Formats: sequence, C-alpha cells, structure tokens
Amino acid sequence: MIEVHDLKKAYTEEDAPTQALAGVTFRITQGEFVAIMGPSGSGKSTLLHILSFLDRPTGGTYTFLGKSIDEMSDKELARVRNKDMGFVFQAFNLLSRLSVYDNVEIPLLYSGVPPARRRAFIEEAVQSVGLEEKLYTEAGRLSGGQKQRVAIARALVTDPNVIFADEPTGNLDSHSGLQVMEILAALNKKGRTVVLVTHETQTAEFAQRIIRLRDGVIESDAPVRTRAEKIVNLK
Amino acid sequence: MLFRDAFKTATRSLTHGKMRSILTMLGIVIGIASVIVLMSIGQSAQNLILGEVQGIGSNLIFVIPGAPSNGKFAAPASAQGIVITSLRERDIDALKREPSISAAAGEVRGQADVVYGNNNVRIGYEGVTEDFFAIRNLDTKEGQPLSNGDIASGNHVVVIGPDLATALFGTAVSPINKTVRLNNVSFRVVGVLSKGGNGPFGVDQGNLVIMPVSVAQKQLLGITYFNDIIVEGDALYDMNFIKSRITFALRQTHGITDPNKDDFDSRTQEDVLSLLGNITSILTLFLAAIASISLLVGGIGIMNIMLVAVTERTKEIGLRKAVGATDGDILEQFLIESILLTLSGGAIGIALGAGVVGIIYLVLTTFFVSLGWVFAFPLSAVALGLVVSTLSGVIFGIYPARQAGKKNPIDALRYE
Repeated sequence: MIEVHDLKKAYTEEDAPTQALAGVTFRITQGEFVAIMGPSGSGKSTLLHILSFLDRPTGGTYTFLGKSIDEMSDKELARVRNKDMGFVFQAFNLLSRLSVYDNVEIPLLYSGVPPARRRAFIEEAVQSVGLEEKLYTEAGRLSGGQKQRVAIARALVTDPNVIFADEPTGNLDSHSGLQVMEILAALNKKGRTVVLVTHETQTAEFAQRIIRLRDGVIESDAPVRTRAEKIVNLK
Repeated sequence: MLFRDAFKTATRSLTHGKMRSILTMLGIVIGIASVIVLMSIGQSAQNLILGEVQGIGSNLIFVIPGAPSNGKFAAPASAQGIVITSLRERDIDALKREPSISAAAGEVRGQADVVYGNNNVRIGYEGVTEDFFAIRNLDTKEGQPLSNGDIASGNHVVVIGPDLATALFGTAVSPINKTVRLNNVSFRVVGVLSKGGNGPFGVDQGNLVIMPVSVAQKQLLGITYFNDIIVEGDALYDMNFIKSRITFALRQTHGITDPNKDDFDSRTQEDVLSLLGNITSILTLFLAAIASISLLVGGIGIMNIMLVAVTERTKEIGLRKAVGATDGDILEQFLIESILLTLSGGAIGIALGAGVVGIIYLVLTTFFVSLGWVFAFPLSAVALGLVVSTLSGVIFGIYPARQAGKKNPIDALRYE
C-alpha cells in the first residue's frame, strides 16, 4: 500500500541546507498499524507529512496504492488526501465555533458527496467514537479527549484506506490518551491501516510495528508484542 | 466543493464576526449610497431642466444667427461673443408666409438697471415681436401681456416678472400703470407675469422685463437685428419638414445659394433637449465618478480586512487543505466571502441612498417649492450599484483569496 525507497527531504533554511530525511526505505501493507518513533529532529514528522501527501520528497520514490507521488498533480494529491487518507493531529485542529456535526462534515465538503447523503456518514463516524450525544455541541466546549475523538470521526468520515495520526495523545491526559488509542486500535482491527507518529513508547506499543528514526535514517524497523498483551499491561 | 457549501461556509464566517463584517461593509455602503444619491440628484436636475425646455411650448424651433454647427455640442456663435446680424424683420415676415408655420417671433436681449423711486434692480430684459406671448405660453397674473398694437407702435410699455414687481413695488402697491426707468428710458408697466423662478436657458423669469422689440433695439441696444427667432410649427406638419422650410425661406431672404454658406441655424426643441440631455448626463456621470472615489476607499478596506482574515484563519486553511481542499476551493471560499461583504454593503447602500434621495425630495418640495424639484430614482443607479459592489468584491477580494489558496498546508497547520 505504502512503499518508500531511498526517500529524502532536504530544506534550505537561512542558506544552510538541512537533510530532514537522508534515504528512508520501507513498505507498509494494507491493515498494518505502524508507529514511527524518534527523538526531536529525527525526521518523523517530515516523514509523516510526505506519507500523507502534505509535502513532497526531494529525493527517492514514494508509491501510494501503486501510484508514484511524482506522477500526481497538487490537485490529485488533494483528491487522494480527501478520499484515501484521514488525519488526526496533536492539536486536534477543530474549528471551535462549529458543532461536532459541522466539523466532521468538512472533508465531505470537498469529496463531492451530495448534502442529502452526508448525514448518514457523519452520524456513523461520530457514533464510532462514542460521541453521538454531542453531535450538535460546539467543538470549543468539548474536553481534550472528546475533541480528539471528534478529530478521529472527521478522519473516518470519508472511509479512508489509511489514517495518519501525528502525536494524537500529545495534548491529552493518560485516560483520554488511552481512549483515543483504543479507538485507533479498534479501527485497525477492522482492517484500516494506521500510521502513527509518537515519541511516547506506551502509545507506540499499540502498533504492530515500530519504525525508529534518528537523524533522518531508519535506526530500527521491528514488530512489537501483540496488542492484547500490551493493553492488559497498560491497564 | 459545491457552490452551496462554499456559500454556507462563507456566510458562517461572516456572521461569526458580525461587528467586523458590518464595519468592513461601511465603506462600500457609503460609496454606493453616494453614487445613488448623486446619480439621483443628477437625474432629477436633468428632468427639471428638460422639463423647463419642454414647458416653453410645443412644436417650437429656435432660429439663431451664425453658421450651422456640425456637432450638437457646438455653442451658438452669439454665445461665443461673435456678433452676427443676419436675422432681421424680413425673415419673420418670410417665415410667417410659410403654411407649415403658425407663428414666429423675434427676440433681442440685454441687461440694464431698472429703477422705480429709490429702488434699483439689475435685470435682464427682452424685446419681443408680436405673438411672443402666445408662442411662449406666458400669462400675466395682473394687467395684460403686451398687445400687438403696443409692439407694432413701439410703445414704451413693459411686462415685468413677479419677483421684480415685489422688489420694486412691494406687495402693497400694484405695479400696473406705474412708470419705471431702464437706462433712463421710461416705461409704463402694463402686466406682471404669473410665473417666476428660473425660465428656460437660465433666464430669471421672476426678474425679467419684456418690452416691444423696436424700443429695445433702438433705444436700449442700438441694433437692427434679432438675437433669435422662435418659430411655432403647425402641429399637422413634421418638425423636420418645417425645419427644411425655414432653411428654404431664410436662404431666399438672405440670398444664399450655396448651402455651406448658411448664416443661420435652426434647432428644434428635440435638438435642444438632446444637447441639454447630453450635458446633464455628463454632469451626472461626473458626480458619480466623484462618489466612486469613496467606493475605491471602501474596496481597499475590504481587501485589508480580508488579508487580516486570511492570516487569522491560516490554521483553518491548513486543515481544509489537509482534508482535501484544493487551492481553488480555498480561493473560492474567500472570494465568496469578499463578494458577499461587498454585495450586502451594496444592497444596504442602495437602501440608504434611496432613503437620502427621499429625504432630499421631501425637503426640497416642502421648503423650496418654487424650485419645482422632481423625484428621480434611476434604476440604472441601482443596477450600477449592484454591479459595482459585486465587482469590487471580486477586485479587492481576489488578492487575499489567492494568498489564502496558495498557503502551504504544513506551514498553515503549524501557524500559531
């Protein structure tokens, strides 16, 4: 599903070139739950941005669902982001003055789904994160954990192939963090691919596989213990 | 993104910051209202002026001395200070012989001090031939118009305007049969015109003095020609035909064989109306152009606020792009916001302008009745207001909207 080969990303800041990714190669298959870990400046966020089509690499190849990113226009990238990818951000990125319903509707605005058919999708997505009673609550009035669950509902509403989560528990207390990770784990169990960036080992252990980055290269890429074991341990 | 969704999103953004939206609109509101008010005043003034010309009488043709102008905008030779003496008594006689002409009257004009007792007023006077009062539909509220006998005999009699009557004699004394002096020539007042105010061509009818033409020519002006001849055509004939008959008759009396050497010009009421219409239209446009400066200022205000909005909502733009919005979707959203702002401002401006026009009308018709102000609210101004406000939304919104559309989603998401 996701295949990167010798992926590179260089930035030029204040005339000094920075190599954020210095040749990264791996594959992620459909239904995997992969955590990308690494210290600050290791390139994990840069990698996630490229994987999620928010940025383009400066070297190497990236193939998503069999198509190279180099062959796609910005418009096509936007279409793929809308149809095949879901995003969960550390800062939730909800529009606080809008209701839960309206926030979850945002990706559908750009998907061509007719207004009459949207309600069913939105209700299903909100139900899957257990917030159906908050459907018309203003997003700004929700707790951090609830906001992140709305963000997950928003990521799910277009029924994407893969969910990219960038430090999804970073702004949450441990209880809310656990709830969010359980939802992501449940989604993965239903066959959805999840790619997670985190620096918290406990969060990463929800994944089946951890890719560790350091200085823009892969330090290790290994499977982890079964998810069931880890949840038992955490609880 | 469906237009309906873009519209809904834009409306939501604008209603979220109501006060800001209202203040942003204010420039456009004032601009459009100014354009509406000035265009309406221009139109009212145009109607008033044209109405005055139409009120002179029907089927009139004005014969003026000097070669015909090629363009309708050319001023008559007399207005350019050139003295042309081509129009004479024999021309009136020749014109009166034409079957298609009901009446013809010659006019001369001048300015003088009119004195009664210790009262002295600077006025414009007209020396006229027979039929003048009938052609011009002039009535007297006191006394009589000049009789054909007075005119033919060159009696020293005058008909004066109502304002002049009040200025010289007050309201208690009747001016009839009183003697006034113009440039030391004595005249007996035989009538007072019923209508004052401004007459056609800016003549102050309220202060006018009308006398037999021969007296004005010989004793006041020392000339033997006319400043113009007013011809009343027979209603059964086409005005252009009458015009051609006038040309034919005057060429004969003036002995002109080459049509390029005509020393007179004839203008129908339609020609005069068209000329005045053109002038007042230009005046109206000029007023609207001045008012549009405030529109420009309002538009720049819109652009400024939209740029602020784009910066404030950088994170929202980043999110929308992350979940699938294209540059075009973002551009569309901000452009619709900008157009909605200016269009709403335009609609409010039109309503405000209509209100001000109504107030002006009420004030002028209540306190300045003699002005004869007419109500005009040109629909073209409304259409112009709507078109201009929409266009300013596009023109002043496109730059901020493009800035929004071009934002990099990662930078936008990271923006604090």
